[in-house]
Amino acid sequence: MDVALSRSATWALRAFFGFVIVFLYAPIVMLLIFSFNDSELPTFPLSGFTLHWYHEFLTNPDLQDALLTSAKIAAISSLGAVALGILASIALVRYRFRGSGPVSALLLSPLVIPFVVFGISLLLLFHAIGLGLGVRSVVIGHMVITLPYTMLVLIPRLQQIDASLEEAAYDLGASRLRTFRSITLPLILPAVVCAYLIAFTTSFDEYAVASFVRGSTVTFPVYLYAALRFPSQLPQVIAVAVMVIAVSLIVVVAAEVGRRVAERRLDVS
Amino acid sequence: MASTPGQRAGHRSRFDLTGPGLLGLPVAWLVVFFLVPIGIVAAYSIDALSIVPGSPVTLRTWRELFGGDPFLGHVYLSLFWKSVKMSLIVSAIIVALAYPLAYYLALSGTKRKYILLLLLIAPFLTSYLLRVLAWKVLLGDEGPINSALGWFGIGPYTLIYTQFAVLLVLGYVWLPFVALPIFVSLESLDRRLLEAASDLGASRWQAFCRVTLPLSAPGVAAAFLFVFIPTLGEFITPSLVGGTNGYMYGNQIVDLFGTGFPDWRTGSVLALFLLAVVGALTIVFSRLLQPRQVATD
Repeated sequence: MDVALSRSATWALRAFFGFVIVFLYAPIVMLLIFSFNDSELPTFPLSGFTLHWYHEFLTNPDLQDALLTSAKIAAISSLGAVALGILASIALVRYRFRGSGPVSALLLSPLVIPFVVFGISLLLLFHAIGLGLGVRSVVIGHMVITLPYTMLVLIPRLQQIDASLEEAAYDLGASRLRTFRSITLPLILPAVVCAYLIAFTTSFDEYAVASFVRGSTVTFPVYLYAALRFPSQLPQVIAVAVMVIAVSLIVVVAAEVGRRVAERRLDVS
Repeated sequence: MASTPGQRAGHRSRFDLTGPGLLGLPVAWLVVFFLVPIGIVAAYSIDALSIVPGSPVTLRTWRELFGGDPFLGHVYLSLFWKSVKMSLIVSAIIVALAYPLAYYLALSGTKRKYILLLLLIAPFLTSYLLRVLAWKVLLGDEGPINSALGWFGIGPYTLIYTQFAVLLVLGYVWLPFVALPIFVSLESLDRRLLEAASDLGASRWQAFCRVTLPLSAPGVAAAFLFVFIPTLGEFITPSLVGGTNGYMYGNQIVDLFGTGFPDWRTGSVLALFLLAVVGALTIVFSRLLQPRQVATD
């Protein structure tokens, strides 16, 4: 006899799980269907197959600029966030020092701040010190909010790695930097890549903070948000939506699977 | 915190300043671009800094918010309570929905649990705005739901620009994520406890109520907090599918910093009030969660 679930309860839960999965994916599938629908309005009955909306978005320079801007911001800010995340994670995992509790609370606190509050705070900071708004200010904001995410990936990995490997390197005369380059970094590399991709997708999708500090820069979410208010642009926005959702799903799933495989291989050898 | 295998033991690290040194850059970054900005908001909230140069320092807006002014205080606070109520409804419903999902994954003994977990969480990892967009399309007056219902001669119903739409979309957006902390707490549950309960004559339902549920309570609390906090400050979903009925506290803050009639002082007061509530909740919850972590070590 199973102690947690009777057979009929298992069936009921399985059915419920299936139902929720359908509920979660149905809207996304609906978008996919309408992205090929030959009509200005997303309504039933469907009016025929077309690739028109995909073609239109591929030839829309504003949209492409927005995608490119977001990619640039995401690439730079995640690089910064991962670099800061590595420093902070090594310090918190490998060293004991006074005040490490409050420090880690500070480093993780962007996880719980409402983004609307952080957005206006950053806006007021740039206003107060007279720094212009644009790509730079969005990058700064995104580095703050993605830093804790990188730490949540890096810290568990560092805890898994036996510190005696690093100590052996010191004892054999390697400098700290050399030890990091030859021992630590190769061992945490899968987690570093994963942290980078999580930070990248978070930044690429971030609207709330960017909307306050973007100045006149148009990121992809800002473009989307504006386009949602003009129904005529809806079909091509749906087409882009489908492509972005597909790409981000592939990236995230590949990152997670890749990290597991790579870490297993590293730990075996 | 208990020491982990990765932590370097011994006397060498005791006077070693490398650790704090490594922290210099990340901590400095957060102080300058996270703590200082919040301080600046505080300065704006009392007119120590202002769009109008030379304004005297005043606590007026703070006093107005807490009852000194029957109009402003009433409007903002009742909007705040409305948002609290909406966030509570969303959080409670989706935690209740996510619990059986996590329970199924963790305890049914299914072999594909990590694949199913990934399937459940994957939508959360795609664009937030695009998932809201999907519902904006679905719920439209002539959208797929209403046009499909029209085939059967039902409707049309007003679905979009209602408070219901905001609750539905927020629930949809956060549901996959909520299952995660509950799954983690159920996954770490020692099955022998359930076997012991069963051997001692407890039914499955009794074992669930007296063993499983209390032991997974920290995961449930964490899940609740992880949804409640972001939805309380939410402004994107209400502005896209909420109309006037779905207007939330976050929208009010955004509007006070908007282009129409900016009022940075009032906006700063409202933002800090939200931050204080969220901060207090986080501290209370993390205190609540701590004793159990110690007990399991």
